[in-house]
Amino acid sequence: MAQFDRLTERALRGFASRTSRRSVFSILGGLLAGAAALPLLPVARGAEGGTNSDDPNSGLVPPQYSGNPQDPGDRTKCDYWRYCAIDGSLCSCYGGSITSCPPGTEMSPITWIGTCRNPADQRNYIISYNDCCGGVAWGRCACQNNRGDRPVVRPQTNNEITWCFGTKSQSYTCTVALILGVAIEQK
Amino acid sequence: MAVGALSLAPLAHIARIGEAAESTPPSDAPAGVMNAQLAWQNWALNCQGCHQPDGTGSANAAPSLAGNVAKFLRIPGGREYLGRVPGVANSPLADAELAEVMNWMLWRFDREDLPSNFHPFTAAEIAQLRTRPLRLEASPMRNELLKKTAASGPP
Repeated sequence: MAQFDRLTERALRGFASRTSRRSVFSILGGLLAGAAALPLLPVARGAEGGTNSDDPNSGLVPPQYSGNPQDPGDRTKCDYWRYCAIDGSLCSCYGGSITSCPPGTEMSPITWIGTCRNPADQRNYIISYNDCCGGVAWGRCACQNNRGDRPVVRPQTNNEITWCFGTKSQSYTCTVALILGVAIEQK
Repeated sequence: MAVGALSLAPLAHIARIGEAAESTPPSDAPAGVMNAQLAWQNWALNCQGCHQPDGTGSANAAPSLAGNVAKFLRIPGGREYLGRVPGVANSPLADAELAEVMNWMLWRFDREDLPSNFHPFTAAEIAQLRTRPLRLEASPMRNELLKKTAASGPP
């Protein structure tokens, strides 16, 4: 027991001789400030950034808005209105845009065409989904909404098909969404 | 399915979005077309994806219509061929809508070659033709017919 007391006394005296009371405060202060700074790290921002926690693309690319109230929504998100019948990856996430292919890829002239309702004016627009081909498919911003999609026995109205016909490369990269016109309202 | 009234609004809506439409819907209606706007829409949703906005088609997907589709009307068997090609015979469009798209398409992509005595496709004629869809024989039949159109000379 006396040996235990001696060992404890020596350890505590050694600790006291190596440290000051001020250094204890500095360590405690560092811990407090560090804890407060943790939510500012990018990891925490990524987790909180998206409004839709199911969206795996949250925080991957900066948002893209038209700036026009007649064309609302973030074009890097799957819930943007023109993507209602898309099946693929969004070119807006690959250095392209809603109407242009990323550098190094070629837009297929052969397309899958559907209609989507614009929430700004509640009208249906005819949308052409052109695949961009010849680049690397990273699988980023994958989006499957499939409105109006038909089984593959009707290939011209099936969006599972990679529409890289008429391009040099048949390797799929991503898809853009062009407006062809406004659909006639049918009852 | 009731047909909506033709409206001048669509172009104004596109203009407000600030993006040029890839193809402009037609404003006048040819023979056998009740509603050119609806015919264009049915074409865009069901045909244009492969035949392309200007009807030039693509080697791997669908043959060209531009500047040649109405020539088939000038030779025996050509009119029947147009009603039996896979894209027409297997279209999800109803007979009347399909007849209207055919008439619009002939005028839109090859009005110069329309015969002077051209009579528009009707729903009944399309209904009858599409009961015998062409399959693999469509391509060789097309080549044979095109040879005959070349031999028949200009309109």
